Amino acid sequence: MSDAAFSFNLAETVVKWVDVGIFVLNKNFEVQLWNNFMAHHSGRAAEDIVGKNLFDAFPELPKPWFTKKVNTVFLLNNFAFISWENRPYLFRFAHNRPITGGADHMYQNCMLLPLKAEQGKPEAVCVMVFDATDTAIAQNLLKDAMHTLAEISNRDGLTGIYNRRYLETRLSSEFDRTRRYGGTFSVVLFDLDFFKKVNDTYGHLAGDKVLIEIAARVKDKLRSSDVLGRYGGEEFMLILPETQLEGARIFADRLRETIELEPVIFDNITIPVTVSMGVTEHQADMAAYGALIHQSDLALYASKAAGRNRVTCYEAALEKLAAEGKH
Amino acid sequence: MNLAALSNDQRDALQELTNIAMGQAGASLATLLDEFVDLSVPRIRVVQVVDLPPVLAELVGKTNLVSAVRQSFQGYLRGEAIIIFGEPGCRALADLMGFEGDLGESGENELLLDVTNVLSGACLGGMMEQIRNFTETNGPAELSFSMPSVMARQVMAEQLIDPKKVQWSHALLLEVNFTIKNRDFIAHLTMLMPEDGIDKIRSITDEFIAAF
Repeated sequence: MSDAAFSFNLAETVVKWVDVGIFVLNKNFEVQLWNNFMAHHSGRAAEDIVGKNLFDAFPELPKPWFTKKVNTVFLLNNFAFISWENRPYLFRFAHNRPITGGADHMYQNCMLLPLKAEQGKPEAVCVMVFDATDTAIAQNLLKDAMHTLAEISNRDGLTGIYNRRYLETRLSSEFDRTRRYGGTFSVVLFDLDFFKKVNDTYGHLAGDKVLIEIAARVKDKLRSSDVLGRYGGEEFMLILPETQLEGARIFADRLRETIELEPVIFDNITIPVTVSMGVTEHQADMAAYGALIHQSDLALYASKAAGRNRVTCYEAALEKLAAEGKH
Repeated sequence: MNLAALSNDQRDALQELTNIAMGQAGASLATLLDEFVDLSVPRIRVVQVVDLPPVLAELVGKTNLVSAVRQSFQGYLRGEAIIIFGEPGCRALADLMGFEGDLGESGENELLLDVTNVLSGACLGGMMEQIRNFTETNGPAELSFSMPSVMARQVMAEQLIDPKKVQWSHALLLEVNFTIKNRDFIAHLTMLMPEDGIDKIRSITDEFIAAF
């Protein structure tokens, strides 16, 4: 000891009161030391615990795993660590935020330390338990925020369906996946007929309502793997994985019919809506996913040219028509 | 500062010191895993920060995806140990450490952290033990370790460290690789000590030379 004139043992008092859980185990897993942090969070006083086998006192502890962990420290005479990111806690303690909350238990980092005389093998292992709840909460909040951010950046603000940025990303990944693993997928591009007239006649709020309503109705009819997004102003795109051209055409036509049969109601005004659609399927000889956009676009304009409110599938002849500027 | 910062004698001494230390590390790993662990002869060099990505790529192979875990040590020596695991090694490791079934991502991470802790603890512990045998003037040869953390999963080795984001310009790099007989397992332990650590190493090697 130093020459300071304390009436108490300095190290002992610090260990007792430090805001870190400290306990010591011998080779039989009998508790040799149990500080106040451990006592106060577990509700078991040192007098009650010291001398007892840890697993007898706390049968809920993960015995095989923790035994292995401690034995490694004895064997290798080396530190060991436990991170809350892999195991949220060793002891299920209440967190120290009974009022402010944010977690339902204390997250813990632990450090295991071999204890031995100057030379020789470890005779005991000291376990330190650190409260990592604040870090864990902050990290979980960050994770949620990142997730929300990713969601927002992929969504169209008005309709809540995916936006063009996301559609292009998905189209590209779907294209790569199909090229690598085979299979197929189809793309449907569709456009509201005479949408400008809706805006001019009933106002932009009515136009917005039509876009929201159509997006919701189409979304309702999709399989979970289908992707719907707003491609442009009144233009929407559907990506249909594992769907051939004919299947996509039938599905598109059913959507077209649903939309036609039920007009959109806005402010007690009935607004009839129809859509023109273009459909195409992935082909092995396509150089890039852009070809799918190009082809569904041509088919869509063919639908428009033929009188709207219909579905057209892409065929090579459409290229010629487009080149002649007939659409 | 460059490679010449360590004289030939100092380099030889450090090589000698680490060879003995790694032998002990291998023995302690073998005890843990119940398998014979092969350790390569440690490679020692002083690297400039800009050279680190290509040097790491060269050490572990340019085309392989790797996972890496870092752990810092402080006290007598100060630096970071980075353990770089080849991808197929993770499975073999789970098996070796006595884990069964599918570990899941968090189980795999825990395993990597555990193994990192064992490898760096064994290697640095071995070095400290050697140093304690002869040193008197450099203070108590003790180290403490901080909790290891996963740096990256499945990246190219040269992407592990971005030279623009570190504070040092030169570091002492010590590399050892571990393989296990008849197992598809390889791990590279790299220990990096920044500039001021090199001075310490130099004075330790001088003492080593004087003692023998």
